[in-house]
Amino acid sequence: MSGQYDEELARRLQRREPQAMADLYDRFGRLTYSVILAIVRDSGVAEDLVQETFLRVWNRAQAFEPGKGALGPWLLAIARNRAIDYIRSVQSRMDRNSYEFDVREHPSLFVDMEREVLNTDHARVIRAALAKLTDNQRKVIELAYYEGLSQSEMAERLGQPLGTVKTWVRSALQLLREDIGQVVSA
Amino acid sequence: MSCEELQEQYGAYALGTLDRSESGELREHLETNCANCVPGVRKALSLVTVLSGGVELKDPPKRLRKRVLALVNPVVVKGNAWQLGWSLAALLAIMLLAVAIPAKKQAEDTARLEQALSVLNDPAAKDVSFGTAEKPARGRVFVSPTKGVVFIAANLPKLDKGRAFELWTIPANGKPVPQGTFQAEADATAVYVRQGALEQPVAVAVSVEPEGGSAQPTTTPFIVSKIGS
Repeated sequence: MSGQYDEELARRLQRREPQAMADLYDRFGRLTYSVILAIVRDSGVAEDLVQETFLRVWNRAQAFEPGKGALGPWLLAIARNRAIDYIRSVQSRMDRNSYEFDVREHPSLFVDMEREVLNTDHARVIRAALAKLTDNQRKVIELAYYEGLSQSEMAERLGQPLGTVKTWVRSALQLLREDIGQVVSA
Repeated sequence: MSCEELQEQYGAYALGTLDRSESGELREHLETNCANCVPGVRKALSLVTVLSGGVELKDPPKRLRKRVLALVNPVVVKGNAWQLGWSLAALLAIMLLAVAIPAKKQAEDTARLEQALSVLNDPAAKDVSFGTAEKPARGRVFVSPTKGVVFIAANLPKLDKGRAFELWTIPANGKPVPQGTFQAEADATAVYVRQGALEQPVAVAVSVEPEGGSAQPTTTPFIVSKIGS
């Protein structure tokens, strides 16, 4: 589907058309559920968090810029943040609060972003890029992406110096940027 | 730190791996709409978001679509809401309130629903019900130490003019902490949501106070419920 479709969908969300929510769910519901489930690993919790994610998009659609913003990436950032917030809460790791997520998922940060980054054709590219990382690089990306661990927490978990973990994170992101760069214009 | 130095942190910030102390400076800097750093963080966020496209796809249950759509297109459910699950009853109560009110107020109530959901979805949240034959006000309170409080009640007593109900959380040290005032609907029900972190209470209470609220209860609370550990 085109970016023009997402732009119109965002405008309909701003007009608070209930059918727009249905179309948004049909477009991104499966991927949203999959991302959240991959993080929380509990289907019941994942359902609750999908509901919370879509409600948040509905409530904040007015702050979104339909002509410039990327709807899918914004929604998925919210979904991941909700899931990470949940598992941090379960594990009593609340040193980073919801405010931090609010800032990182503000619609203004999703302006001028490539809208087709979630194209299914790109899934193979992404998996291939992840497969090319060293075990340590992949591990830190997974701990960050799926468990929401900070670099200090990763250092503790892996029994490695903080500087080493920071190097792994930086080099992993650099390699991913090089490999997936064509997809995200990063 | 200069933009050049902050640039080193874009990726880790987007991924969420910076510790709070580390991310604070970049976060504050982004609030200045820096022409260098905002686009840089956008690109980093773009990279992190695209990783979502690599997850193994799973089909959500069909009921999930209905649940999501019910948030914006609520339907009246026949039967006694108090016999439904408490979480569902809380959400329905808030959603049904939103149907009968103007659009501006509806947006406020939708936000209230979102706040209530965050409390109800918090696995650390504890809940307690109240109401006996001697004390007919009945309902339930959900308390999340990080998200806030959701209070749902029926059969609330009629208030004199200038008075309001005030919700209290009572921590282990015993001194009640005010959590705000609220009024009942015409049918003697109330759904009250107070967002924000609070000290884990050992009990919750409701008393009748002047409309502006009190710093400490000035009347004997007519609802007092202990929260299990």
